[in-house]
Amino acid sequence: MTFTSKRHGRLWPLGWALSLFFSCLLSTAATAGPTVQFFGWGGSTQVNQYIQWVSAQTEVEFGIRVNHVKLADTSDAVSRVLAEKAAGNHHAGSVDLLWVNGENFAAMQAHGLLKDPWVNQLPNFSLTRPGDNPSMTMDFGVPTQDQEAPWGKAAMVFYYNQQRVKQPPRNLPQLLLFAQQYPGRFAYPLPDDYLGISFLKYAALVLNPQHQSLMYKPVTPAALAQISQPLFGYLDALHPLLWQQGTYFVRQASGLQQLFSDHETLLSFSFTAAEIPAAVNRFDLPESTRTYAMEDGSLANVHFLAITYNSAQSAAAQTVVNFLLSPRAQAYKQRLEVWGDETVLAVDALTQRQQQMFTTGEHPAAMRKTGYSRLLAEPHASWADALRDAWYARYGARW
Amino acid sequence: MVFELCIRSARALFYLVLLLPVCVGVMGIVLPAVGYFPALGETEFSLTAVHRLLAVEGLPKMVLLALFTSISATVIALLCTIALLAQFYQRPALQIIQHGLSPVLAIPHAATAIGIGFVLAPTGWVARLIASVTESWQLPPQSSLLYDSQGVAIILALAVKELPFILLMALGVLSQPHLKARLAAQFAVAQSLGYQRQTAFIYAVFPVVYSQLKLPIIAVLAYASASVEIPLLLGPQNPPTLAVAILQWFNHIDLSMRLLASAAACLQLLVTAGAVGLWLLAERVAKLFFTGLVVNGARGDGARLIAFCAWLTASVMALMISVFLVSLLSWSVAGYWPYPQLLPGSVTVQHWHTAAQALADPLANTVWLAGLATPIAVVLVLLFLEGESVAQRRQRRYFTVDQVLFIPLIVPGVAFLYGLVWCTQWLLPGHVWLPTVVSHLIYVLPYVFLSLAVAYRRLDIRFINVASSLGASPWQVFLQVKLPMLFAPVMVAAALGAAISFGQYLPTLLASGGRLATLTTEAVATASGGSRRLTAVYAIMQMLLPLAGFVLAWLLPRVLFNPAQRHHTGAK
Repeated sequence: MTFTSKRHGRLWPLGWALSLFFSCLLSTAATAGPTVQFFGWGGSTQVNQYIQWVSAQTEVEFGIRVNHVKLADTSDAVSRVLAEKAAGNHHAGSVDLLWVNGENFAAMQAHGLLKDPWVNQLPNFSLTRPGDNPSMTMDFGVPTQDQEAPWGKAAMVFYYNQQRVKQPPRNLPQLLLFAQQYPGRFAYPLPDDYLGISFLKYAALVLNPQHQSLMYKPVTPAALAQISQPLFGYLDALHPLLWQQGTYFVRQASGLQQLFSDHETLLSFSFTAAEIPAAVNRFDLPESTRTYAMEDGSLANVHFLAITYNSAQSAAAQTVVNFLLSPRAQAYKQRLEVWGDETVLAVDALTQRQQQMFTTGEHPAAMRKTGYSRLLAEPHASWADALRDAWYARYGARW
Repeated sequence: MVFELCIRSARALFYLVLLLPVCVGVMGIVLPAVGYFPALGETEFSLTAVHRLLAVEGLPKMVLLALFTSISATVIALLCTIALLAQFYQRPALQIIQHGLSPVLAIPHAATAIGIGFVLAPTGWVARLIASVTESWQLPPQSSLLYDSQGVAIILALAVKELPFILLMALGVLSQPHLKARLAAQFAVAQSLGYQRQTAFIYAVFPVVYSQLKLPIIAVLAYASASVEIPLLLGPQNPPTLAVAILQWFNHIDLSMRLLASAAACLQLLVTAGAVGLWLLAERVAKLFFTGLVVNGARGDGARLIAFCAWLTASVMALMISVFLVSLLSWSVAGYWPYPQLLPGSVTVQHWHTAAQALADPLANTVWLAGLATPIAVVLVLLFLEGESVAQRRQRRYFTVDQVLFIPLIVPGVAFLYGLVWCTQWLLPGHVWLPTVVSHLIYVLPYVFLSLAVAYRRLDIRFINVASSLGASPWQVFLQVKLPMLFAPVMVAAALGAAISFGQYLPTLLASGGRLATLTTEAVATASGGSRRLTAVYAIMQMLLPLAGFVLAWLLPRVLFNPAQRHHTGAK
């Protein structure tokens, strides 16, 4: 027997498999059209699914894919862009589109990480009627300067399990009483998380009725001392009554939902009211969950979309944002079963047919539109850092 | 000649992949640690970062927690392995244990952490069972084993993950042909001298096994001292283990924290070295003590204790793994499932449906990464081993250092990966796949080698001699004799390599900058999210994927290359 080509026959399946492998490789690599790298918080299934829907739409309409890079914290993306700038990467940045608001926007503006003004050029931006709605161009007390486009509106809501709790707290002092009645059954996330810092802002605003105006100006040491005194007095009393006696804080807002779902906590809160009925539908929250707003005020804000200064896909990113501001995309987003995020468009100004798209369904666990007693505007962006640092200084660092 | 060149370059590449990224990565953290970080405008050498690190509140606790959890977990895993082996050596039960534990090896760390979290949670089955039986606990208990400041949950999860690895490594040693008969004989002699079987194993067999087990154990220990997924999901927060703190510092929005993080990463290197040093020291002490035990002439001491420990280990592992699997499975299809009901109120496939939509891209990325890294690793290892066998036949000295393989496994990823990422961003800005595949390759290569080397070195040299005498060139021998004969082990090695690639969390996250979502990164992300049900689906998917690889590795050789089968049918 000699070694001739006859025996090569035995290797054909391997060769076949290899050629299949490489042809697949080529076909994937050959997908045409730009991909917009969309960096945004990825903790909500609904939001993630909505962005998948967006990608499918933009791929059909414009040949643009949207890749959602799911962040635990938006500041991760900001630090990435900052690192790219430091490393001299000014044209081929890895972040194209960013879901931001408030302090991350302010930080990016301060570091020159945002694309030059672009929002006014979007045809659909005018549908938000920015002239009549100052909140479309102000983000945490900082003018957006046309560098970020509004995307949706949100307000803080609380939810409870009506089978276990008959009378949920209606204001901050009642919340402390609730914690005394049910020790260990309330939690809030670390102040690194947006919901954690939002809770601190809400408490700071409500506990300082005389000095609220201080919080709408850039923070000063004196103002911080004034504001934080009642805040820390309250938290000192609350912390031992928190879940895990306040020794362990959940890192992310979504962790709160799981605690509530497990009945480890009996009262919880969220900045995305619509996620609660959706989570009930997904079985992630009990059927007896009910949503309401605090009577002493609900922190409310608009969330935005920004394009980085070094985005390699700036034009495609603008096309995507314009699509996100279209009545179709905004109406789909507002549907309770999709995301339930309130539209930024001035619905009254739309055509009759477009307005019809915005009718939303009802759900026993959903927040009623009329349920808000009073909305609290976001404090100036500089307060977030100040309150956070003060919190860590007082209650110890957590990692 | 071309083949020879291939072999040589493969050998160079092999060492390059194992050493270069680690060296570059370590440089990439040492320089910032001493203040050299041009990207941030820091070009003066200073010890500011080190001082800042030393001023961090709770730093000693972080270091102690890393040392305590890793050493405890490894000791527990090793003791349980010894007990299992001593009790079941040469008994059929050992095979059952082996088959039961092998799949656990393929479960990624992240999935282990998620599963253990499910078991220990205050609303887990244990708590629900107690609540239903005692009819107390209307609400879930407020204290739980999770997030405790001593890291008990971390130790438990690490031990569950390490035990199968150490045990299977030990079984591999025991099955080596040149050792098998000798150890059996020693075991028989010891028993004939009146020692109980358990003691006979520990005195006469285990020392030989341990000498070969040492390196894998050290790798496991080193990994545990710097692992991220398990302490991140199950560990305390104030303070966490050092590795978790490093992760948070590196990701901090304030870029100057990177200097602190780099200094901490250097400290992590010392901590890992310290853990290994402590282990080696303890080993010496244990040896002294052990030598005394062996020659004191006492018979039968502790046999009962060992038997008890072995049965305890086996049953705890069996119980744990079944509760773990059943919890994941039931959560993944659960409708409403209020506490303290033992079973979900309804069953739905909705979570699987959701996951199927969300996981299409991550799944493709996962498979691509493994599909790129694994074949490269397999080819490199095969050529490397071929070079070794050619050199042996020519009686030439061949520079093989199996120890080099352990370098990427021992140097903590959290320490060198950041430095590596920094360098690749500088050299190859904008590239995503290349750095990610390379960072996977660093981890895939050693395991593929460990898995393949045994079979390759064991191949009967007479086949090669016969083929060569028939006029086959080295290339023909390699391609037409060796590869078909080694097809099954090659497939197993590839499956192992793919499983390792599937499970990589930190390398994927860092090298791709989060832009390549894989099953593992998504699973860790959802684990801290709102849906326990979806997390369960992700964790199950994480286990299914490597399993599919191993099933394929088992099936393919039967279908494609099975000389024995062919010979058999031909003889009919």
